[in-house]
Amino acid sequence: MADEDETKEYRWESGYEKTWEAIKEDDDGLLESNVADLVARAKRKRAALKDTGAIQLGMMRHLFVVVDASACMFLQDLKPTRFLCVLKLLEVFVHEFFDLNPISQLGILTTKMKRSEQITVLAGNQKKHIEALQQLKDLSCEGEPSLQNSLERAMNGLKNMPAYSSREILVLFGSLTTCDPGDIQKTIKSLKDNNIRVSIIGLAAEVRICQEIAKKTGGTYNVLIDDHHLKELILNQVQPPAVAGSMEASLVKMGFPGASPIVNDGTSDSSADHAPAYCLCHIESETSSLMGPNGYNCPQCGSRYCELPVECKQCGLTLVSAPHLARSYHHLFPIKPFIERAQVRETTHCFACAKLFVEAETNVYECENCNQIVCLDCDLFIRETLHTCPGCASDPVTAQMKTN
Amino acid sequence: MKLNVDGLLVYFPYDYIYPEQFSYMLELKRALDAKGHCLLEMPSGTGKTTTLLSLIVAYMKAHPLDLTKLVYCSRTVPEIEKVMEELRKLMNYYEKEMGMEQNILGLALSSRKNLCIHPSVSKEREGKVVDGRCYSLTASFVRARHAADDAVPICEFYEGFDAHGKEFPLPPGVYNLDDLKEYGQMKRWCPYFLARHTITHANIVVYSYHYLLDPKIAEVVSKEISKTSVVVFDEAHNIDNVCIDSMSVKITKRLLDKCSNSITILETTISNMKENDSKRLEKEYKRLVEGLRDATIARETDMALVNPVLPSEILEEAVPGTIRTAEHFVAFLKRVVEYIKTRLRVQHVVQESPAGFLRDIHTKVCIDRKPLRFSAERLASLIRTLEISDLTDFSPLVTVSHFATLVSTYTKGFTIIIEPFEDRAPTVSNPILYFSCLDSSIAIKPVFNRFQTVVITSGTLSPLDMYPKILDFHPVIMTSFTMTLARPCILPMIVSKGNDQVAMSSRYETREDTAVIRNYGNLLVEVAAAVPDGIVCFFTSYLYLETIVSSWYDQGIIDQLQRHKLLFIETQDAAETSLALINYIKACDNGRGAVLLSVARGKVSEGIDFDHHLGRAVLMFGIPYVYTQSRILRARLEYLRDQFQIKENDFLTFDAMRHAAQCLGRCMRGKTDYGIMILADKRFSRADKRSKLPKWIQEHLKDTNCNLSTEECVQICKRWLRQMAQPFSREDQLGISLLTLEQLQSEEMQKKIQQRAQGV
Repeated sequence: MADEDETKEYRWESGYEKTWEAIKEDDDGLLESNVADLVARAKRKRAALKDTGAIQLGMMRHLFVVVDASACMFLQDLKPTRFLCVLKLLEVFVHEFFDLNPISQLGILTTKMKRSEQITVLAGNQKKHIEALQQLKDLSCEGEPSLQNSLERAMNGLKNMPAYSSREILVLFGSLTTCDPGDIQKTIKSLKDNNIRVSIIGLAAEVRICQEIAKKTGGTYNVLIDDHHLKELILNQVQPPAVAGSMEASLVKMGFPGASPIVNDGTSDSSADHAPAYCLCHIESETSSLMGPNGYNCPQCGSRYCELPVECKQCGLTLVSAPHLARSYHHLFPIKPFIERAQVRETTHCFACAKLFVEAETNVYECENCNQIVCLDCDLFIRETLHTCPGCASDPVTAQMKTN
Repeated sequence: MKLNVDGLLVYFPYDYIYPEQFSYMLELKRALDAKGHCLLEMPSGTGKTTTLLSLIVAYMKAHPLDLTKLVYCSRTVPEIEKVMEELRKLMNYYEKEMGMEQNILGLALSSRKNLCIHPSVSKEREGKVVDGRCYSLTASFVRARHAADDAVPICEFYEGFDAHGKEFPLPPGVYNLDDLKEYGQMKRWCPYFLARHTITHANIVVYSYHYLLDPKIAEVVSKEISKTSVVVFDEAHNIDNVCIDSMSVKITKRLLDKCSNSITILETTISNMKENDSKRLEKEYKRLVEGLRDATIARETDMALVNPVLPSEILEEAVPGTIRTAEHFVAFLKRVVEYIKTRLRVQHVVQESPAGFLRDIHTKVCIDRKPLRFSAERLASLIRTLEISDLTDFSPLVTVSHFATLVSTYTKGFTIIIEPFEDRAPTVSNPILYFSCLDSSIAIKPVFNRFQTVVITSGTLSPLDMYPKILDFHPVIMTSFTMTLARPCILPMIVSKGNDQVAMSSRYETREDTAVIRNYGNLLVEVAAAVPDGIVCFFTSYLYLETIVSSWYDQGIIDQLQRHKLLFIETQDAAETSLALINYIKACDNGRGAVLLSVARGKVSEGIDFDHHLGRAVLMFGIPYVYTQSRILRARLEYLRDQFQIKENDFLTFDAMRHAAQCLGRCMRGKTDYGIMILADKRFSRADKRSKLPKWIQEHLKDTNCNLSTEECVQICKRWLRQMAQPFSREDQLGISLLTLEQLQSEEMQKKIQQRAQGV
């Protein structure tokens, strides 16, 4: 990275890092070990909450990510700097986000020098976002951030999104102060009125106003402990949130553009569909405008797009492909949380990963349906990644039932 | 929940209890059983008030004959209101559990200013004016005149109370100030006199310290409280100063000039009266000859002027002949005032004992001790006789008469200091006579003697053994409780050097050193960059604050600081300070963050809580020693050394450390709260200073955090703040620092509590 040369400094110039302290066991049982324990418990609690509480999930999400680019983002408590670390993790986040929420859209803002800047507009194209993030690395961080300006800006972008979608803002906030032009309480109120959920991840310490914003708008507020924790916190935002009661449910008109231009079975109208044409996603950028036969045509107006999902610029139809919908589907049928058990004597190993249960692990987890027992790691993995219970899936009876 | 505290059934109005609350109850019960006094230190934010109330109420219910009344003394009106709220909660809980109305009457009492409901008098802002106007409407002679002539205004509320209120006591319940006012409005009775009247039969009385400690007020208000009462002094870490202030008098030149005016008024009134109504003066003369004590015939409303001497000291004697007639007395007063005026004409500081003063006044103006001693009482009597209804003008004269009475009554424990100018401005002549009480035990002694149990409690009483010495009493229980915490939510640190390794200290020798000032500045800037929201800094004095801020300005530190947070400064002007505070809170609330620079012993350090985000960090720049050049302090130190064998240094350190602890405690107002406490002075790490911090702070002050540089300190802060920011809910506390009834009763916990009790 080009940037690294600038920010590189000698080892003795950096802050005290007592790495041995992180692994040290505490004599008075109060410090790190205890806090880590709290974090682990909170993790499980969050996971459990997510699965049990809500029935309706905001599958269609419109999310603005606000990245703090103020002077304090150059601090090196995250390596190499806070800013670079956050951008790197955001790339992962964007990727995961579109993986799990294929019919959602995302936009990126930064805030510095008491102002807020738009980096990308709300769009469903992950490549564009990742590119933009990579370009951001050269940005110099300076001045103070403004929470209010960035929230207002994001709100303006989100206000007009359809009511059935979940409107969200994710703020990655490194600074401990915000420099606002007006009364932030008013902004909070209008955020609330617009049903926009603001989640904030603090990079340094708990700031009261962030806590308040998150609480009032129904979002979450977390502060990282280290970079691993930060990754976890960011990736927590990938899961679609439960809908706060007021969101209206409605039928959404969607278009499913024909899949492959080569196999033309005559169902779509004509060969005109696949005549070379400019795709609308790139028509504005002069350098990379693509003209070719490949792409997806909007079934309503015939505009060409090179990627799905996207909202048609001409007629406003949401264009998706069937697999996208299918992937969003598991959010609607989350697996039931596993029951926490004290170690059972009969089963000596985890059903999923076949690891032997050791004495140190006090709790194991049991699936309600198939009564298979798994370890904590598998429990989290099943819940967060697989979304299906290996026990149930491998049992012919229950698997049958599910498909029926 | 219902608790069993050593055999006593205690109703506790919450579902959860802190372990230290239970220990507190155990200790308190032991003190009540022993009918002795006790000193209890428990950190702020651990529910002292509710613990005290629930145990004492339970005890009163269980032993109605041994304990009849609870007198709860607090410092400020908001604190009084807080106590009343807790009491109400407790009573509601009792009612819910027992299913019937409770026969307990609790009420708050405050000054007329806070209780008056008279349409025009209550509009007055100043307490003295309200008192004066109330007196002019309710004094017995005013009412007598009203009976004769309807045009004389009286207070209808007082009349209503006087006519009916005395026969019908307040129904049982909990009355805070607003409730009293409401009740008064409803019945058209005066709430103030209703409350004062009710004190005698109320079960729980909540009022300010002064109603018990200041002899001038205590005589009027608290005379009839029975011996079988328990008296609680909450937030009592400054109780010795309150005692001393209540017995001290300060006389300036201006005050004496005003006295002369008052005396002229007296003279004219007397001569007028002599012409019109000489009988009245004769009657007064006769009464004085008989030596009847005023109190026996005086009506409650007439007690506007009172004797500053403690009850036991007043002799049951007739007023001496020399001051019996009004003219003689006024002439006598004139002589006293003139004498004091001549004494104030000094070029250098004079310090003398009361005995020396008496001898001098005797030789110079031929005034004996005895008439001096009666001057306060005689003045009160005279003003009553003359039917002067506007008392506000006479307060200077009253002060002088108090001084005269006090100086002739006490020969020990007091000193007189006359300074020709203030220390700050040695060129401006501004003579002041201080009559200063040196012995805090004088004012509080009657309280200890009179009541069976006196509880002195606060968040910061360490070192505990100093209080019994300076207040001269023998507590049966002396305990300091720590705070059980599920997470280390206070982080005390001693920062002794800057990044350049120059030691930080507010010592006199290094005070002006730019390196030290710069290091202090850098510390603040770095902490401000690492700590969110509010930071409160305490300096040792206003003077020091000013010099430091001006040199920070020159060094550019203020600019750096303002990049992170807004800056607010406490000044000696109360209005300015409260404006700064309001904006400080605003800045913290909306995320801008703020730094408040204030002074230990100032208004901010005593009464204002910076909970949660308002005080994430407290910095103590230097050790807040009291101004040691003050002659009053030196006299007191000398006295303490001679009378109580307390070394000067011990007392100074004690005093400094309790103020430091008080400042540090500002940021910690409960178990969900968290805050950093930075002691920025090399000297704090010495054992004699460190060991005087309250136990609950000491416990978290690790040896490794006792000698840090700025950079180390900031690193520790950063890590700790991240840990504290992790989600923390009630479940995390349960079982460790918060107990349900079952958990409390579990054997393991009982064992722990027993151990704790023995450990102290």
